[in-house]
Amino acid sequence: MVKFLKPNKAVIVLQGRYAGKKAVIVKSFDEGTRDRPYGHCLVAGIKKYPSKVIRKDSAKKTAKKSRVKCFVKLVNYQHLMPTRYTLDVDLKDAVSADALQTKDKKVAACKATKARFEERFKTGKNRWFFTKLRF
Amino acid sequence: MQKKTHESINNRLALVMKSGKYTLGYKTVLKSLRSSKGKLIIIANNCPPLRKSEIEYYAMLCKVGVHHYNGNNVDLGTACGKYFRVCCLSIIDPGDSDIIKSMPGDH
Repeated sequence: MVKFLKPNKAVIVLQGRYAGKKAVIVKSFDEGTRDRPYGHCLVAGIKKYPSKVIRKDSAKKTAKKSRVKCFVKLVNYQHLMPTRYTLDVDLKDAVSADALQTKDKKVAACKATKARFEERFKTGKNRWFFTKLRF
Repeated sequence: MQKKTHESINNRLALVMKSGKYTLGYKTVLKSLRSSKGKLIIIANNCPPLRKSEIEYYAMLCKVGVHHYNGNNVDLGTACGKYFRVCCLSIIDPGDSDIIKSMPGDH
């Protein structure tokens, strides 16, 4: 009886181009909107996971390997698998509901989330989120 | 001893069917869990293990009890008074029944 599809929840996208990729809920629309009359949420996810970084790597190589490619998408609840993990990254100012209106707003939002995700990856926290789901 | 509790579940379920709100079927069970409307989930024993695990995981996130019904989907459908098979069902409002108070300890 506890609502769990809340912002900062880590989810796995199940359908579409990003199926199998991990994402974090930025904003949830439980009642839906006029364009989407079903429960859905705005997620920011990882399009391309960062590679495995080993101790032997030079600084340049670590920088190259830690790159994260992101996506921002509105996804139906039915096409998400919620997990017990959360990701406390403040994405509300980077990603907003109108970020998906125009292409350049979307690119800007993706760039901002990319920066946030990369800095979170470098701290070594939330390791589960940045590892690829094997299936 | 097992038969007695089994009958009591059937009686409670019949009362829920009569006086309460419920949904039958996998899709609506997940919907009720996502919207946190479900109060108790009942799963038949021949439910495919992947589906069973998925429902249990959602219920764990929701902190909602899951009851593994002692019977297959045919029996569960009959217990609900329906003429079709029911693999999983979600009780939204128990009505006059005390099924939620007496069942959740079960797993």
